[in-house]
Amino acid sequence: MNIRIYLVPLFIALFSVVIIVLSLRLDVSPPMIVGDSMQPRVFPIFLMILNLILAAILALQHRKTPPKAQEWENFTTWGTILLLLPFYYLATHVDLFIAIAVVIFAMSLLWGEKRWWAALLLALVTPSLLFLLFDSVLRIRFPRGLFTNWWYS
Amino acid sequence: MTEALQAMGSVLFDPYLIVLIFFTTILGVVIGVLPGLGATTGAALLLPFTLTMEPVHAIAVLATLYVSATFAGSITAILINTPGTSAAAATTFDGYPLAQRGEAGRALGIAVVSSTVGGIFSIIVLCIAAPLLARVAYEFRPPEYFALTLFGLSMLASISAGGAVKNLIGGVFGVWLATIGAEKSTSIERFMFGNYELYEGLSFVPVMIGLFALSELLIQSRRAHEIVNRIGMKAVKLPTREDYKRIWQTILRSCGIGTFIGILPAEGATVASMIGYSEARRWSKNKEEFGKGSIEGIAGAEAANNAATGGAMVPTMVLGIPGSGTTAIILVGLMVHGLRPGPYLFTEQVDTVYQIFGAMLLANVMFLFMGLYAAKGFARISLVPTALLWPIVFSLSIIGAYALNSSMLDVWIAVIFGVIGFFARRLGFAVAPIAVGLILGEMVEINLQNSLKMFDGAWWMIFTQPLAALFLVMAFLGLCGPYIFQKIMGRGEK
Repeated sequence: MNIRIYLVPLFIALFSVVIIVLSLRLDVSPPMIVGDSMQPRVFPIFLMILNLILAAILALQHRKTPPKAQEWENFTTWGTILLLLPFYYLATHVDLFIAIAVVIFAMSLLWGEKRWWAALLLALVTPSLLFLLFDSVLRIRFPRGLFTNWWYS
Repeated sequence: MTEALQAMGSVLFDPYLIVLIFFTTILGVVIGVLPGLGATTGAALLLPFTLTMEPVHAIAVLATLYVSATFAGSITAILINTPGTSAAAATTFDGYPLAQRGEAGRALGIAVVSSTVGGIFSIIVLCIAAPLLARVAYEFRPPEYFALTLFGLSMLASISAGGAVKNLIGGVFGVWLATIGAEKSTSIERFMFGNYELYEGLSFVPVMIGLFALSELLIQSRRAHEIVNRIGMKAVKLPTREDYKRIWQTILRSCGIGTFIGILPAEGATVASMIGYSEARRWSKNKEEFGKGSIEGIAGAEAANNAATGGAMVPTMVLGIPGSGTTAIILVGLMVHGLRPGPYLFTEQVDTVYQIFGAMLLANVMFLFMGLYAAKGFARISLVPTALLWPIVFSLSIIGAYALNSSMLDVWIAVIFGVIGFFARRLGFAVAPIAVGLILGEMVEINLQNSLKMFDGAWWMIFTQPLAALFLVMAFLGLCGPYIFQKIMGRGEK
């Protein structure tokens, strides 16, 4: 038996069961508030039961017609996803705009830009323009960080 | 009617709006030309920029981007065999072969004219059908709305990408996402995990940005090192009289098909263009030309996909049920700007509604001229290196997600949904059902609750309401009809 073809339906089923368990732990509202309607836990449970049925149908479909094996993601894709980790760290601990600039620079090089100065220019100009537009024109305040502290002070 | 025409005409006397439509049309064409950046991604990225605008200007901008980007997808479909938007996929079948024969200008000319006719036709239908439908919808009560939203969700099964079951799973997941936050009637917290920023539920904007823009960025990263060949072109040529003789019936047929498909909840321009193309082939006297550069093939696909834009606005504005991924974002735009989609929009905000329709009409005329006189220039934009383009999309997505609520949580929601959307798409799930499910989720639950209250908890009474029963039967047929039909046909053949 090829387990691989059942991985997606299994994941969906597992997710649905977890949500059902979490739903059962939700608070119950007094009958005088709910009246003839339903408790807040009922709707998510109903949805997840529906998802379990759909996951079973999907598993049957996969048994009948196995899905094509997916190609493994390439280095660029994994690299782009992994870039989100330093982005999270820099955005929460240093500055949102510095985080964006670093990711733009690294992403450009990762995606095949050979002119490092073009990537650097893009990394400096894009966040700066966006910051000026949103800060000055749209009047949006950005979270405090190294750069925004300097700007706002 | 006079009032409506006056409101539509007032667009021409609002210089600021005309300038906005002009630049948005250019932006829409640019977005449509860039492979991967379709109308939906573009609208998701543009939405935060409209926050400070007047509601009518904001929605006009989003609607203009919708129609112009849908048309512009054909430019790259014809010149580099890569549809700028999924709605232009059918245009590649004959557009690219015709361009390879040295007739790129003729192919683009036919695409521009067909798109414009399709777009204008659908807006005329929109202006007539929307108020009529609104009058019917005015009588809807919770059972009818509940059944209608179920019908809308059932239509997700038949959208182009993914299989029916996968689309429904996506839709159910989207509806579940709508249950996150405090439940409306009891204020009981659901799936918040102690995070009080989620009390009002998941914000639509960051979810849309994640699902459409960031997931697309990750999809494009797989093609980051691909090199595309662009076919050269001298100038766009208007169709000749001979061309018109061959394509006018196809255009008219596709206008009808596209508008009808667009009106169906959750169906969009991609499905419309595919059906428009296949019907053009079915009715053509020159079937052998299809796939080798048939002008009827280009006209059939292009008239249908632009006709679907006006059609898709009908359920979006009248019923609050999005007709496509892009209209889901326009719907979010309406809500963000305090406009309540639904029949009341046509009684309380008549001017706003018709100004939006007028803006769409004007956008169609503008992209006709841009397509005819500037397509060559726009085509060059498709050569912008992806290594420079997509990092810009990343920064726009992050700032856009932050801008609505000035919340870093929204940024992380966008990033998380970007990754979820990417893996979902890689596994064959479309992201549009998740978005539509999220938007309709609250409507489904609230109307079900209110229906239960109406009937003292007797849920089966919903089936006794004629219109509600009709919608539920339509939902059932939408889900099971194809299988039942297949079985019957199978028996017949045996």
